[in-house]
Amino acid sequence: MSISTAPVAKTDPTTATPGPSARAAIRTARVRQWWLAAALVFPAVALAVTFKFVPLGRGVATSLESSSGFDGTSFAGADNYTRMLDDPMVLTSFRNALMVVATLPVWVVLPLVLALLIHQRTPGWKLFRAVYFIPYTIAPIVVGIMFRQILAPDGPLNAGLRAVGLDPLATEWLNGRYSALFSLVAVALWSFFGLGVMTYLAGLATIPGEVLEAAYLDGAGFWRRLVSVVVPMLRPTVAYWTVLCASGVLIWLFPLIYALTQGGPGDATMLPEYLVFLTTFQFLDRGYGSAIGVALFVFVALISVFSVRHMFKEGTRKA
Amino acid sequence: MLRRKIAGALAAGLAAATLLTACGGDDAADGPVTLKVLTWEPGGTEYWAQVKTAFEAGHPDIRLDMEAVPFDRYPEVQGPYITSQSGPDVMANNAGLELFDRRGAYEPLGERAAEINKDLVTYSGACEGFDTSKPCYGVPFSYQGNVLYYNKSVLTAAGLDPENPPATWADFAAACDAVKKSGKTCLALGLSGTFPAYWDFPEIARNYLTEDDIRGLLAGTLSWTDPKLVSSLEKLAEITTSGWTNSNAPSITMLPDGADIFQRGDAAFAGTIISDAVNWEAFGKALGDDNLGVTRWPVINPDAPLAQKFSGIEGAVYGVTKWSEKKQAGLEFISWLAGKENGELWVRYGKGQPLNSTVDKALLPTSPSFLKIQEFVAQPTLHAGVMLSGPETDALARGWQQVTLGQLTVDKWAEQMQQALERSPTKRQGR
Amino acid sequence: MTRRSAVRAGRYLLTFVLVVVAVAAIYPLLFTIVSSLKTQGGFAQDPLGLPTSVTFGNYVEAFNRMNMPRLLLNSLIATLGGLVLSVLAALLAAYAVTKLRFRGGKLVFLLIIVTLTIPSQAIIYPLYQTVLDLGMSGQYQGLILAFAAFGLPLGTYQLAGYFQQVPDELIEAARVDGAGHFTILFRLLTPIAAPALSALGIFNFVWMWNDLLLPLVIMGGSDRKTLMVGVSLLTGQYDVSVPLVSAGLIVALLPVLIIYLVFQRQLVSGALAGSGK
Repeated sequence: MSISTAPVAKTDPTTATPGPSARAAIRTARVRQWWLAAALVFPAVALAVTFKFVPLGRGVATSLESSSGFDGTSFAGADNYTRMLDDPMVLTSFRNALMVVATLPVWVVLPLVLALLIHQRTPGWKLFRAVYFIPYTIAPIVVGIMFRQILAPDGPLNAGLRAVGLDPLATEWLNGRYSALFSLVAVALWSFFGLGVMTYLAGLATIPGEVLEAAYLDGAGFWRRLVSVVVPMLRPTVAYWTVLCASGVLIWLFPLIYALTQGGPGDATMLPEYLVFLTTFQFLDRGYGSAIGVALFVFVALISVFSVRHMFKEGTRKA
Repeated sequence: MLRRKIAGALAAGLAAATLLTACGGDDAADGPVTLKVLTWEPGGTEYWAQVKTAFEAGHPDIRLDMEAVPFDRYPEVQGPYITSQSGPDVMANNAGLELFDRRGAYEPLGERAAEINKDLVTYSGACEGFDTSKPCYGVPFSYQGNVLYYNKSVLTAAGLDPENPPATWADFAAACDAVKKSGKTCLALGLSGTFPAYWDFPEIARNYLTEDDIRGLLAGTLSWTDPKLVSSLEKLAEITTSGWTNSNAPSITMLPDGADIFQRGDAAFAGTIISDAVNWEAFGKALGDDNLGVTRWPVINPDAPLAQKFSGIEGAVYGVTKWSEKKQAGLEFISWLAGKENGELWVRYGKGQPLNSTVDKALLPTSPSFLKIQEFVAQPTLHAGVMLSGPETDALARGWQQVTLGQLTVDKWAEQMQQALERSPTKRQGR
Repeated sequence: MTRRSAVRAGRYLLTFVLVVVAVAAIYPLLFTIVSSLKTQGGFAQDPLGLPTSVTFGNYVEAFNRMNMPRLLLNSLIATLGGLVLSVLAALLAAYAVTKLRFRGGKLVFLLIIVTLTIPSQAIIYPLYQTVLDLGMSGQYQGLILAFAAFGLPLGTYQLAGYFQQVPDELIEAARVDGAGHFTILFRLLTPIAAPALSALGIFNFVWMWNDLLLPLVIMGGSDRKTLMVGVSLLTGQYDVSVPLVSAGLIVALLPVLIIYLVFQRQLVSGALAGSGK
């Protein structure tokens, strides 16, 4: 079903219908159809080109220039790119980005489990549904201030862990080389899981009630049925959410880094998009900042190859 | 589809209308001139509302259109204006390297600089290389710098004399031991972000550098591997590695987290600033004016020429942009900013240290800490913090975090600082 | 009976898990509300605890310092404009690509969805230059168009996925009945995609409303700035008052919550889902 044949050839009726006048009429119809389609996609294409591709092209051009603050620029060839290879901060930022990407399975599975639990009409499910979305609506600046307090070495999280006897887990969350990045991702996940739950619930709404009831009815086989019946029917939604996370996670982290850690301590939570911001606006090195930006684009494009391929098939295959 | 058409037509109409207004109305004789002023409102919204009212009352031919941007996003808005050579008629930048980096965007004051700034205690921070004989790019009206505030009752509880705070590095170490024994934090600190590095480095560097060295720092000719700077970094590291600070210092910010520790009375000392916020006014309100003390940072080398000086720096500098078509009105506005009337508004509503020496003394605050600060500012020297480029400030702050967490040695830190200096586009160009 | 009690125990455990997650989810809202009722000194004393005395002074000051009606209007114009335009452009494009099989259609679809991988931070400077070249700097339409462009790829992808599942025979039948393209798109396909549209609506509304990057570079500090830019102006260079910012944020949050409550009904009501399968 996912094999898509060329649509033009498939709908092309010329082989079946002889007669020059009929053929001309069909051609006119096809030409009209093409113009209609072109008119319909025009706003979208114009937006994408003007606000995405043109700036990207200009960014690539800037990345080939060397700039000294605000005093003019000169052509630098690939200098900015070769410079990145020797810059430990750049390398660290991309290594951190890889570690963030490695957490994607959690981003996909956790909201799914919660959505399924809510969808079973647990008492108070409507309340849960409404409440889970709240973190997504809270602006990052508050998230930053709050979690710096909560995650402090003697903050409430560690106090809670110690109170229930989990002393070894009570670490200095935001101080550690790896725990800082892990904490940042956890905060981001907390901020976005409600959006995932909402997305999954929207998908679940399209599955006929009887199918679900049959799956939910028997408590003992719940998980088995869940995996074998419900999840396959939810595949398009899972795919959508995965695409959203894969392309979004690095971008979503930016305001949180800004508010919570500023890339620190040291370079522990430095990610490429924050480095682009620092290099361009704080270090006034626009050429180099653009080069890091282009590298980030390639990085995101690479990790999104599968999701974009999937999106493409999903949108163009014949049902 | 219809809605889109309407939206499209609307957009086109709006675009045409703005184009028309942009082409019309300029320094024309009829009607008042409107000056577009880009600012992050240093001193607060209330102060800037007063500035607008007072200036417009005295200058009926000039209107002010204040374009306020949050401070931490200011470079993102200002940067594109400068590269495209368009936008506001008057802009602000902090005195020091930040302003010099952007000097190409400002119209130099020329020979009128001295006359415009005649009542200011100092204005060299608005001029190239902190030299008033060189081009000056705008006018300051506020004064900023670093001091060490302390909580008298915390010192008393630790068995220390609140009227004689520690004056030397060794005294400070002893005082911190005593404060820690009494169960409080000695120095409230938050290392996330660049503020504490930017504020504390100059106070230590004063013990090793001369004014020429500091100018060398600005020009990028003083190497970070120079023993003077390595010693400064060593002492900076000592602040945290000696355990004088709160344990969460590496991951909290100075503003507001670190300052709040001091404000709630949990710490003996806080190294902050004299104007705007987290100063004698805010701390006095939180802890009581009589309970708040202020002192210079402890001295490391008593013989150093700048050891007893005050690292002072003019605050925001307002200048007329090169591309402005209303330069005359812009000049009138910034000249007014340097004057007595604005100096008094700054003291009353900005709650800051005035730079204008003719400000009515009766308006000045009576807080004991403010009066003490007047003694310090009488002996100013250059502020080493504002000489640092973006990459250096960033490397200084990150290096301090890592040294504190034991992830970096001071020598490696100095090396990274030198690399940052060499990366800085403006300093690279200057050398 | 052991099985029944096991099921019951499972239910309790499940409810417990959901409650724990709910507490973690609602805590930040409570934190923001509680903070907004503290004085700045009170917050410094005890950032996480309950206020010893409640004050509404922060709200008064937030309203004094911000031109609230104007900022609210600006945010509504930019957000709703961007939302409507992006969804409309996505609807038209998704319909053309999935139902009007035409030469180049696949390429167009790929072109649109691939923009999802262009990180906004990487193109913000040239984006501003482009907006400036178009004469749209500081103008509503500049921000509306930028919002629409950034919301476009996901919308197009999601709607195309929904439309793809609608059998062509259904559309043929409608055509035979004399329905035009727009009737098919807005009367037949759009209702089918209602859950997707609601999800898109909420997602786009929230990020456009809360976004700082695009409004800042496109609107600068002009009087057309958005509410969130106004709120972030409550923080000074050195002066960070969490209670004051919290009060501003609570005000800014209300429209978002209202939109969410309105849309979420559509979202989960299966009745609207129609022939989604």
